[in-house]
Formats: sequence, C-alpha cells, structure tokens
Amino acid sequence: MYGGGNTFEGIKSDELTGEDPVKLAEFEAKIDRGEKIEPTDWMPQLYRKQLIRMIEQHAHSEIIGALPEGTWITRAPGFKRKMSLMAKVQDEVGHAQLLYSAAETLGKSREQMIDDLINGKSKYSNIFNYPTFTWADCCFISWLVDAGAIVNQLANAKGSYGPYCRALDRICAEESFHLKYGHHCVIYLAAGTQKQRQMFQDALNRWWPPMMHFFGPSDKISVHTEVLMKWKVKMGSNDDMRNQFLDMYVPKIKELGFTIPDPKLKKNNDIGRWEYTEPDWEEFKRVINGDGPCNKERLEVRRIAEERGRWVREALRAPKAQYVTPLA
Amino acid sequence: MTLFAAMNSLDPRVNRLPTDKVANSSPKAALDQFGTFEVFVQAKEGKPFQHEGIVHAPNLEMAYVLAKEAFTRRFTCVSIYVADTRSIHVSVMTEGTVNAYESIDDPGSSGPRVSYEIYHLLKRGKQHVHVGTVEAGSPDEAMWKAKQLLAGEKQVFNIWVIRTEDIRFTTTDDKDLWLTLPEKKFRDASDYKGGDKLKAFLESVNK
Amino acid sequence: MDQQALKELLYKMADDQLIMGHRNSEWTGFGPLLEEDIAFSSMAQDKIGHSLAMYTMLQELGEQDPDTVAFTRNADQFHNCQLTELPNGEYDFSLIRHFLFDTAEALRFEMLTRSTYEPLAQIASKIRGELRYHTMHAQTWIKQLGSATEESISRLQKSLEYALPYALGIFEPSPFEEQLVADKIFEGEAALEKKWKAKVEELIGQTQLHLPSWESLTPISGGRRGKHTAHLQPLLDEMSEVFKIDPTAEW
Repeated sequence: MYGGGNTFEGIKSDELTGEDPVKLAEFEAKIDRGEKIEPTDWMPQLYRKQLIRMIEQHAHSEIIGALPEGTWITRAPGFKRKMSLMAKVQDEVGHAQLLYSAAETLGKSREQMIDDLINGKSKYSNIFNYPTFTWADCCFISWLVDAGAIVNQLANAKGSYGPYCRALDRICAEESFHLKYGHHCVIYLAAGTQKQRQMFQDALNRWWPPMMHFFGPSDKISVHTEVLMKWKVKMGSNDDMRNQFLDMYVPKIKELGFTIPDPKLKKNNDIGRWEYTEPDWEEFKRVINGDGPCNKERLEVRRIAEERGRWVREALRAPKAQYVTPLA
Repeated sequence: MTLFAAMNSLDPRVNRLPTDKVANSSPKAALDQFGTFEVFVQAKEGKPFQHEGIVHAPNLEMAYVLAKEAFTRRFTCVSIYVADTRSIHVSVMTEGTVNAYESIDDPGSSGPRVSYEIYHLLKRGKQHVHVGTVEAGSPDEAMWKAKQLLAGEKQVFNIWVIRTEDIRFTTTDDKDLWLTLPEKKFRDASDYKGGDKLKAFLESVNK
Repeated sequence: MDQQALKELLYKMADDQLIMGHRNSEWTGFGPLLEEDIAFSSMAQDKIGHSLAMYTMLQELGEQDPDTVAFTRNADQFHNCQLTELPNGEYDFSLIRHFLFDTAEALRFEMLTRSTYEPLAQIASKIRGELRYHTMHAQTWIKQLGSATEESISRLQKSLEYALPYALGIFEPSPFEEQLVADKIFEGEAALEKKWKAKVEELIGQTQLHLPSWESLTPISGGRRGKHTAHLQPLLDEMSEVFKIDPTAEW
C-alpha cells in the first residue's frame, strides 16, 4: 500500500546543472518514446535520488502498513477471514521485499533503508500512523486504503523505471484479491447486524479525514514537481488521484447505506471535480513529522523486530563457529 | 480535529513484545541483510523459466527455501531455481533498435567446456526469460555460442549467462511443493464474490 | 467403524493445527528477515487450512460447523498438545518447536496416506507437498543455525531442552489407540513416536546441538485430555474476541 504525494521535496533549479545536456536529452527522449530506464543506464542524479526516495517510502509504507491490519490476524472472526487476512498482511511484507529490491538497483542498500526507517529519516504513508480500534477499522483499511493505494500503484506502474514497474506489475496482480476481500468484509458488515453496521459507520467517521489526506496535500499547496512528471516518476497530481478515488468509491460506500462524515462532499458535475471540506493540512504535517497517535509505536515495533532478529542474521553471516563441544 | 487520541497499543501482540529485553539499536553492519540470489520461476510445464526477482539469503540452499514462498505462494508454478547474483554474467544493456548480440565477439576457446544457461531480455521493463543451454569454456564464450545458436530473429536488449552448476534446481521430489497451489483460493480475487450478498442487501433496503 | 475413535483423532489433529497455526501467525510482520517472515506466515496459513479441512471432516461426521467448533470452545474442550499453545518466545524457540512439531506432523500424515478412512487418506496425500516444504524449511534452519555461532547453538540448545518434554506430549496415547490400529485408521501414537525419535536423532545429529537421551526426559502430557497450561485460555479469548461479539452474525 502506498500514499503518494507527500514524498517529493521541491526541485531546486540548480539541481540539473552539471548534468551532461546531450546525455540528458537522450535520457528524456528514451522516456518520451516509452522505453523503460534500466539500472545500468545513465540517469541524472536527481532522477536517481527522487526514485530512491519514492520507492523506499513505498516499501516502508508496506512494512509499516502490515501493522494496523496485522494486529487483527489473531482476532479475525472465523476461518475465512482469518486465512484471508493472514494472506493479505503477508503480501504487504512481500511487497515491501519487492520494493526494497527495486530501490536497491539504484544503489542504496537494504541495510541503509531499514536503518533510515527506524531512525526516522525516511517517511512512510501517513495513514498508518493511526490506530485500528475495531475489526471494522481493519476492514476500512483492507478496502478503502487499499483502494487508494491501488489508484497510485496503477498510475506508477506506467512510470519510467524498469525495476519499479516490474515490482508494481507483481504487486498489482497480488493486490487484486486484497481489494475484493476488503469490499467483501464491508458488505458483510453493512448487511449484518445493527452492531456490525454501527461498527463500520464509527470506523468510517474516524478514518475519513486520514483518507482525505492519503493522496497528499492539495495541488495548490504542493511542491512543484514538473520535472518529475516529465520523467514519469510522478504520474499524476495529488488532486487527480484523490478525485479518481472519490469517483470510484464514494458511490460504493453510499450504496451500502453508510454516511460519509463530510456534509460538503459532492461531485460538481460542471467541472467534473469533487467538492469537499478542505482537509486539515496542518494536522497532516504534524502527524507525518512524528506527532501522530501511532508513530512512535510503529517505529518501535520495527526496531524491536530488527533487534530480536539480529542474532539470527549474525549467526548465518558469520563464518563457521569456532565453538566445539566440550570433551568431558 | 481528530477523533484519535494517543494510546497505549491496541495491538495485543505488541503488548506482548519483550520491550525490556531489547537492546538499543545501532546502525546495521554490512551484509546484515545478506547478499542476493536471483529467482527463476516456471509457471507451467513446457513454459520457459522466467526471472522474477531476488531474495536476500545467507546461502544458496536457504535462498531456494525462501524463494519458494517469496515468489510462488500465488498464481501458478511447477518449478523454481535460484542462483547467486554474483554468478550471473551480464552483457551490455542496449536501447532503441540496437541488439545486445552486436557487441558479442568470439573470445576464443579457453578451459574445459561446461554447461551454461542463457537468458534474453526482449523488452526493457520486462523480465529475462530462459532460452537455452550451451557448452563453453567461459561465460564470454558462452555468449558467443548463444549468438550462434540462440540469437534468433527478435532484438535482444540484454543477455544473462549462468553456469549450470551454480544453480540450485528443483529436484523431482521437490515438485510436490506446488501440488496444492491451484487450490489456494483464499488468495484469489475470484473467491470473494460479494455480489450476491450485496444484491440481497440492496434489495432488502429498497423494500 | 467406531466414530468416537476417529473423531478423537480428528479433533486432536485439528486442534493442534489450529493452535500451532495461530501461534505461528503471530510472527507476521515481526520476523528476523523479510523473506523468512513471508515463509513463516505461509506455513501458518497452511496449518490453519489443514485444521479447517479436519474440522470440515468432523462436520461431515455430525459435529458442528468449523467456525463454531474453533471459535466457541473453551480451553478444557481443546485437545491440542501443550507444545502448540506455549508462547512464541524468541525465534530460537519458535524454530525448534516448528522443527519438532512439523517433523511429527509430516510423519503422521505419511502414515495416514494408508488410512482405511478414505477422506483422511485423501487429504494426507494431497497435502504432502505442503508438509514437505514445512520440514524442508525447518531442517534447513535448524541445520544452519545449529552449527553456526556460539550464540545460535546455545540458544537452540536451551530451546530444544525446554521443548522436548512438551513435544513428547504430542504422542500421548488416546483411549482409542487399539481401535484405531485394529481398524487400520491410524497406526497409532506409539508407532509415530518411534519414527519421530529416529528422525529427530538423525537431524540433530547433523548439527552441533546435543540431543538429551530420551530416558532422561519426562513427557509433559495432558493436552489431549483437555488439561492445558495457563496460556491456552487467553489465546482462545483473543482468537474469538470479534467472533463472540455476535456468534450468530456473518462476518
């Protein structure tokens, strides 16, 4: 899963000087004719840097994203949900593995990436800094957060960098069951008892604001990323992605009889764009910079997992032990 | 305003973590995550093996064990194999209309002839696919041999060569590993047909 | 054919697989290496799948549906061996348990391919590939870690010594051993235990771990008779937390 939009720093105008203009032109021509860039190709420093950041953040989002849903594996109601949720969360770990591998092709080690996640240097999708209070919160993530991620992933799969595209092809194929599973869970809650319906409505009330943050700050306050669009690193504006998501999923949520907690939310058919209460971008900034309900916990869990596993990795990295069984 | 408040963990697993017994972290040593191995998958009998990605693993045997779930827990598979990334010999990567074989010259024979597996990349952005086996005295000679025997009509962007004995193949007995793969429906989108339930719900609401 | 004997067998197998799968699933996202996290989670899913197949067989024999049976019974109604319900501990204990339990499980199912109870023979044959992977995985890890460093060897050694008495509880004889053997439904726990011990000796012998003599170990049994450690009820409470909000609801 991945929440895009918040990952790019503003491009400074001098970051492209110093690049060979002939090579740069050939590079851009390659992208324009739809040919993928592969790891051994010449590429501008900026391309490499921004791609590493983007793919790495996507990878971190997957491994962190495994936590709010992972907490419900031991509590999933019934065999079907139990097995499905295990498979889904496992996939998130698998997607992290695929994405780190893609980022590695650009020259950053997996060791460094994991360190940067744990020491707070690297970011991940902000939506995972919130807690899943109930089974219905878990279902919200499985359906709608995944839906948002898929909107991003399908766009990014058409990007210019070969290894990232290959990873995304695989991820999109595996995600197809995630979305269906999530929707299936919510349909059952909607069609179930009053308690079940209310459980999801409460979850929807909690998660709608973070979901509106998911695609990143609105275009009018976002950093300029034109060169990244030209290089097919960024594949669509934050608002474009957000509108696509709303187009696809607002009707589906309403169809189930749930109320989206934004009275202003409606599609303006004249301009073909959604109107809504402007999300609180100050809150978004605050949370993504560390001050959310779960930031500390998420990173601490990752840190503990790495520390607990250290002896395992060290054992197999070390040469054969000098240790011998005592003689007497 | 947010409806969330900072909480102790709601995750019972997290509350069971031995936090008091865990040391402070230090930056990871080199190769903490081990080196990498390339993974090749055969989706169906008769189809060629195709590269799918890498696993990090401490050695070849562990790479095989881990690759099996990393890359074939889903979809279709009848066999896999793995090889250390360092054992893969790579040609230039071409672009546009240039064929990678154009820069392959005859290096002359050297050393005893052994078996090499050959892989082609037919389009940037896709995966390398196994195309055949040649006998040669060196990886360079293997590429030259491949040029004579396997180059074919299509443009090739990149060639991989791996010495056959560097590969950990699937044994005949191991083929059972994928016996039940077609039945793992719970990992398949088609197993989640909410349509009927949804329809029944909508009908009941509209009554 | 005595249904009671057969049901007893199916219940204990299903309960073992459910509890073992549940415990192993707790490692998802917490593993020592991403690739290993993925592998361990797959095997946990397999176990839950096996338990579902067993509970489904029980349903065909007149028991209640799998969800009700798995999610509403109390600890004293479960027939899993105590080994499976112990907390995960560190990865050394989980790997040792995986090794000891799955070695027995693979041998058990191999023997069951010859069962006169057709559904059981069929499923035993069907899942042989999955169990092959489970034992391949366990053996690779134990062999490698069991000969690697002082730390990995001493950790595994401690876990092995702790787990072995519980592992022997897998083979606690049921009241119906004679029946099962006579009807050729199953060759019995004694026969399984013998094969298991030989296998464990062989594999531990390939490491620098030391296997205590079997005579020096006292089996910790009781699980088969509903006598469990303090760990099982909390596990079941957690497992059924959402289900019990409304057991008649569809989730």
